[in-house]
Amino acid sequence: MSLSRFLVKRSLQGLFVIWGVITVVFGLRFISPGDPANVLLPPDVDPEVRAEVIAELGLNEPLYVQYWDFISGIPLGDLGFSLVTRTPVAARVLAKLPATLELAIAATIVAIVIAIPLGVISATRRHQPADYGATVFSLVGISTPNFWLGVMLIIVLAVQFDLFPTSQRPIGVDGIVLLFVSGSLGEAVDGLTTWLWHITLPAITLGTYFTALITRLTRSGMLDQLGQTYVRASRAKGLPETLVRYKHALRNTLIPVITVIGLQLGTLIGGAVITEAVFAWPGLGTLIINSINARDWPVLQGSLIVVAVGFVLVNILVDALYAYVNPQVAYD
Amino acid sequence: MTDNNPHIGRRKYLTLAGGAAASAAIAGCAGGGGEETTTTTEDDGETTTTEGGDETTATPQESFDVTITQGQMPSGLDPHDHRETPTTIVMLHAYEGVLTRDAAGAMQEALATNYERIDGENAVRFDLREGVTFHNGDELTPEDVAYSINRVVDEEVGFASPQSDQLAGVTGAEAIEGEMAVKVNNDGLNPIVFSEFATYLDVMQQSWVEERSKAEVSQQMNGTGPFQLSSYTEDEEVVLTAYEDYWQDPAAVDTLTFRAASEASTRVNQLLQGETDVIVNVPPQEVSRVNNSENARVAAAPSTRIIYNAMRFDVEPFTSVEFRQAMNYAIDLESIVQNVLGGFGAQTSQPTLPEFVGHNADLDPYPYDPDQAEQLVEDSGFAGAEIELHTPVGRYLKDLEIAQAVAGYIDELPNVTATVRQRDFGSLVDELLAGSIEARPPWFLIGWGEATFDGGLVMKALLASDGTLTTWQNEEFDALLEEAGTQTGDARDATLQEANAMAHEQCPWIFLNQQFSVYGVNDAIAWEARSDERIDAYAMSLK
Repeated sequence: MSLSRFLVKRSLQGLFVIWGVITVVFGLRFISPGDPANVLLPPDVDPEVRAEVIAELGLNEPLYVQYWDFISGIPLGDLGFSLVTRTPVAARVLAKLPATLELAIAATIVAIVIAIPLGVISATRRHQPADYGATVFSLVGISTPNFWLGVMLIIVLAVQFDLFPTSQRPIGVDGIVLLFVSGSLGEAVDGLTTWLWHITLPAITLGTYFTALITRLTRSGMLDQLGQTYVRASRAKGLPETLVRYKHALRNTLIPVITVIGLQLGTLIGGAVITEAVFAWPGLGTLIINSINARDWPVLQGSLIVVAVGFVLVNILVDALYAYVNPQVAYD
Repeated sequence: MTDNNPHIGRRKYLTLAGGAAASAAIAGCAGGGGEETTTTTEDDGETTTTEGGDETTATPQESFDVTITQGQMPSGLDPHDHRETPTTIVMLHAYEGVLTRDAAGAMQEALATNYERIDGENAVRFDLREGVTFHNGDELTPEDVAYSINRVVDEEVGFASPQSDQLAGVTGAEAIEGEMAVKVNNDGLNPIVFSEFATYLDVMQQSWVEERSKAEVSQQMNGTGPFQLSSYTEDEEVVLTAYEDYWQDPAAVDTLTFRAASEASTRVNQLLQGETDVIVNVPPQEVSRVNNSENARVAAAPSTRIIYNAMRFDVEPFTSVEFRQAMNYAIDLESIVQNVLGGFGAQTSQPTLPEFVGHNADLDPYPYDPDQAEQLVEDSGFAGAEIELHTPVGRYLKDLEIAQAVAGYIDELPNVTATVRQRDFGSLVDELLAGSIEARPPWFLIGWGEATFDGGLVMKALLASDGTLTTWQNEEFDALLEEAGTQTGDARDATLQEANAMAHEQCPWIFLNQQFSVYGVNDAIAWEARSDERIDAYAMSLK
């Protein structure tokens, strides 16, 4: 199968998945407890006012009309209007996406920077203290709930030792780029420093589980590669151990690791919900939580669709990259 | 502390505090003098005007910045298109009504200088203040006030405003020709009309609204209030700055920023770290952490929200007055307030809170008397009853814990078994608003806030036979509320007190607590919590 055919096939599958997500999310709205009007309006509101608001929001339309109205607008980028703010959902969701992407990417970078060296050290010093340390770290990292970790990091590093801010995102990457383009260098550096200062704790919180996962994966992959015959042959040829480990064994180890990193990026976008709530990070996760609390279904649906689309796209991209970098893997 | 944090830093505080002291000394020498001010209070439906002497002036001081962190961001910036307190709190800084309330809930003039009923008509008149300008520089006109009222109550003028029932009884308004005044028409006597206008109705400029789409009105602000909009990032931040041409003294707060953090612990950490200046809803378990910190304190005030357990009069065993009374004797309310709420609550004895019109000061909370409760259960004929308390979780301060304590006390009675059922707030409210008593749970915990400070409205909604959330039917009680609807002033107050006494005796509820609003405040700021859950940055100053 050619790459283009493979991509077309995966794209069609992805579209089907997205349609499924849209339909399931739309259906969940009707089996979930809580009428949006009862959340939007206080209990003492006049029944006539309630009826007028429900009619204005289109909540009294038949199910199929609401479904068709919703699904027919999606190809045009129309995700409807928020029941609470009455603003377009698409604009609102897209405005939040950069903050979540920043967080997910920063968490990924934290994971890569820590996990791969740690995994390699652990594998090359098997059954030595460094290996035990890395193993314990990865076990603890995988077992630690990120909401607890986030709160602990805030209390210890922000409140107790005043090393980091507790929360908020005063500037984003877009703002930093703007400063580099149109502001002074000093302002831009200040912006970058502020951003780094604010994103460190959320990124560590979100990335810890991921770090532990990649550490374990790198360690097992590296051990597996180091036991291969080509490694023994390389050593027999007299290649320096550094070259054997990092040029040959590590490169082969990284193929499945890169796949997992790619796939986990999608998971991180979805998993940022709790981290964003703890750090008041104004991203998709916060939007999802707020929209659930407010029964703002259009916003919830729009957010989940964007997450689903992102996840599907990343999956397709990773599949294609994996096949591209490793010719042994057939597209089918 | 960083440059981008607009809150008060310790160093800045010390600098400004010195400046403020000097300014205050100079202001003291200058003295007041000048313009006459009037304070008007409603009494028996008539208007009483008392003349004051010196103008009340705020002490001039250096400006400072304030950040307020709420649990959620405003749903938009259209003052007539929301029903949530967080949005109201943002709105009140940029928009004003004809009347307002002080921190204790007493009615005050705002854009109106006088208000009175028009003899022989179901209408009232508001005389408006001269020289008030909107933030775009245009002067306030009677047409703007009339338009604002009509935009809320008349769908054809505005839209289906969720606030229309907040002006219940108001049918429309018109500018009085040739005068700086408006006439507001009612569908009857409307005894609470001034109370409604003291709580609701933000005045907008008619031309400004009409020149903009609905979406634009939801993203911009143009009021007459002490702060004007500087920037708005949806879901993230509202930044306001002091309006220099405000009709009163400009606000001491220069830049006012609203942000949100849904997690209470996040808000507390922000406050302790100096990243914000005022936070809402400090949980009781965090109070000592705030009070023991170097830079913050807890400020609390009784709110307008009452927490109670409704008992459906048509479902056994709650059909029995003796059983309902027994439930009130069975619980140690004082202990619940002290131990569950950490003292941030007040015991109640009736549906009407102490600050409200109609409160009966002669009624005391039911005492904790488990023996009496046990005897009353026996007398009721429902010994051995098994009852289940439906409660929302996290909607009100310590709601689940209160419910567990109540059920725990009742379960300790040898002849009653009580359990708690946790409910999703949305589904519980669906049942409560289903339109019939039969759809409601037999026994549930709920809270009710009434910003108009009127006990009649509380009892009408919660206990009248046709009330929105009622669980009780009593013809004598209904008759009292009907009578109150045709009265004003002391006569109405007396009738409502009688209704409260009846409710106390008949126990349609287990009377629980008046919820307190608990805030965390930067120690550098002088500010007192209000009883109406509103945070007024105009009243803030540096200590």
